[in-house]
Amino acid sequence: MLQVENLTASIGGTQILKGLDLSVGTGEVHAIMGPNGSGKSTFAHALAGRDGYEIGGTITLDGQDLLDMEPEARAAAGLFLGFQYPVEIPGVNNMYFLRTALNSVRKTRGEDEIGARDFLAVANKAMELVEMKQDFLHRAVNAGFSGGEKKRNEILQMAIMQPRLAVLDETDSGLDIDALRVIASGVNSLRGPDRSMIVITHYQRLLDYIEPDFVHVLVDGKIVKSGDRTLAMHLEVNGYADFIDEENDAAGRAMSGAKS
Amino acid sequence: MTASSLITPGAHPASVAVLDRIGSIELPTKRNEAWRYAPHAKLAKLSFGPSVSPAPSVPAEVEQQIPVLDGPTIVIVNGVVDSEQSKLDQLPTGLSVSTLAEVAANEPERLDGHFKPTTDDAFAAANIAFGTDGAVMTVGEGVRLDAPIHIVNISIPGETHNAACAGVVIDLGTASSATVVETRIGSGEGVIGGSNTRTTITLAANASLEHIVLQDLPISQIQLSTVGVTQAEGSEFVGRSFNIGASFGRLEYLVDLAADGARVDLSGLFFGRGDQVLDQQITVIHGALDGVSTQSYRGVLDDNSVGVFNGGIDVRPGANGTDAAQSNANLLLSDRAEINTQPRLEILADEVACKHGATVGQLDETALYYMRSRGIPADEARRLLIDAFADQTLEGVGIETIRSWVRERLGHTDG
Repeated sequence: MLQVENLTASIGGTQILKGLDLSVGTGEVHAIMGPNGSGKSTFAHALAGRDGYEIGGTITLDGQDLLDMEPEARAAAGLFLGFQYPVEIPGVNNMYFLRTALNSVRKTRGEDEIGARDFLAVANKAMELVEMKQDFLHRAVNAGFSGGEKKRNEILQMAIMQPRLAVLDETDSGLDIDALRVIASGVNSLRGPDRSMIVITHYQRLLDYIEPDFVHVLVDGKIVKSGDRTLAMHLEVNGYADFIDEENDAAGRAMSGAKS
Repeated sequence: MTASSLITPGAHPASVAVLDRIGSIELPTKRNEAWRYAPHAKLAKLSFGPSVSPAPSVPAEVEQQIPVLDGPTIVIVNGVVDSEQSKLDQLPTGLSVSTLAEVAANEPERLDGHFKPTTDDAFAAANIAFGTDGAVMTVGEGVRLDAPIHIVNISIPGETHNAACAGVVIDLGTASSATVVETRIGSGEGVIGGSNTRTTITLAANASLEHIVLQDLPISQIQLSTVGVTQAEGSEFVGRSFNIGASFGRLEYLVDLAADGARVDLSGLFFGRGDQVLDQQITVIHGALDGVSTQSYRGVLDDNSVGVFNGGIDVRPGANGTDAAQSNANLLLSDRAEINTQPRLEILADEVACKHGATVGQLDETALYYMRSRGIPADEARRLLIDAFADQTLEGVGIETIRSWVRERLGHTDG
């Protein structure tokens, strides 16, 4: 479904992603773990199409070249990014925002728009998944939401948008254990044979609730190790030190090689 | 042309008197702080003169722009009341409405306050000289009117004089309440013209008035407007303005909290595009004890447009217990747009709470990206953010017709 090849990303002359390769098959859940500053969020935003990065390499989703597309076109192509820091938009009603988003995507795909009443049915069903109350819909998007409410709102949006590929960027950060359970169960109920997910996290904790098929370790802008769930458990015990040292050693060898 | 040929029969003595010296009053220049950002070359092209009766008929496309409100309506075309278009039958008990021309001819003393200039600029003088018709309304003691009174001021630039003047006088009796809407629209794309409106409001003790100005004149025109308010003890004035049209739209408020415990709440939106200059000149005088005033204005400026917010709080000696607040938030949508925001605070009393603040910002790029990542096209995401900013000025407006009238003019999507 998703093919990422030799992806590089720089911002302001600083290279953050340094040749990232990743292949995600349909229906698979991949976890990307890495220490702070390894490029996890940059990868998420490179997928979603945030402005300001100098990008190299290729990203294709279902055979379409994502790098040529605006963020809104990527959403219509089936990509969804759950933000680590969901943005507050005072004055824009959450329900209106969600309906506009869904209808924009439907319009791009040549589908009929959904009327207010039908949308409410869709939204109500999605809200049950993340145990949200009706008044959520009538507030401004994320404005004054608690950390947990913001993250639930992300999963609500995902449930409404029904993406092909969901990228969840540190969805667990800032959540207490109860909120984490609610969100994980919402995410799990959205797993399916036609939908893939990339779960980006610093900690193994989230992966106790959302069990990935594959785990990748991202260090210094590259995936340095891939494996199954047991890799996450290894990280839980040993931290990232093993991989960071390997990276440094490799870099050191490259340097000395260049000198000689 | 001699002064006598400009005299309107039956005009108030002040109108006649000012004609003797009107030629010698100079136009304001950039050196006048209150006119600093005005397009002076365009202003010099305005030619004011006596209103021509009957006024031209109102084109259908202008008529369609009038918000339809339930309640009495007075239509003024080029400074002359159009009684056929006006709806003044079945006035509610306690409300009297007359034309300004009638009152000037029969009871001129009722207009002494209206024709007493507060500033001696040429445009104030022009209004006193030529603003010989308009609307005069009185709300009786204790009368509370539900339906808004609508004054529709239509400007269709004429051949002899391209600019017309009109007057509006509103008197609220003790403990009465009313809503007055002044709509200013017109026709004449490409023809330079202007209108000059002077509104004089007097609120008796504990009276309460909501006054709404809707300005959406064609881009070829200039709109000059002065709203003077004198408030007695415990009275409340709520002034809202939506300054949207005209090449130069200038709205001046002079509010005098002349007695104890009077309150004024001024808010508004100016929304400029192209080369528009939209200018709000506000002065609130705290002249007595325990006055409360707020000024809260938002500007949205695109293209080369210029916004001006010049907000004065003038706390006179002894006006203790004054509570005054002022804010001006602006959204610049283009690198070339300009906002000039200036607080003028003069505080001559001791026990006073006064605060003011201004902000200038651009559309939140992170919010735009967030919305686009949800599939909302960039243009629509921009639109949503602009609307969200502008909409906050509509929150206090109870009349749905007015909210949708304003939203429509901002290029609003369905909200």
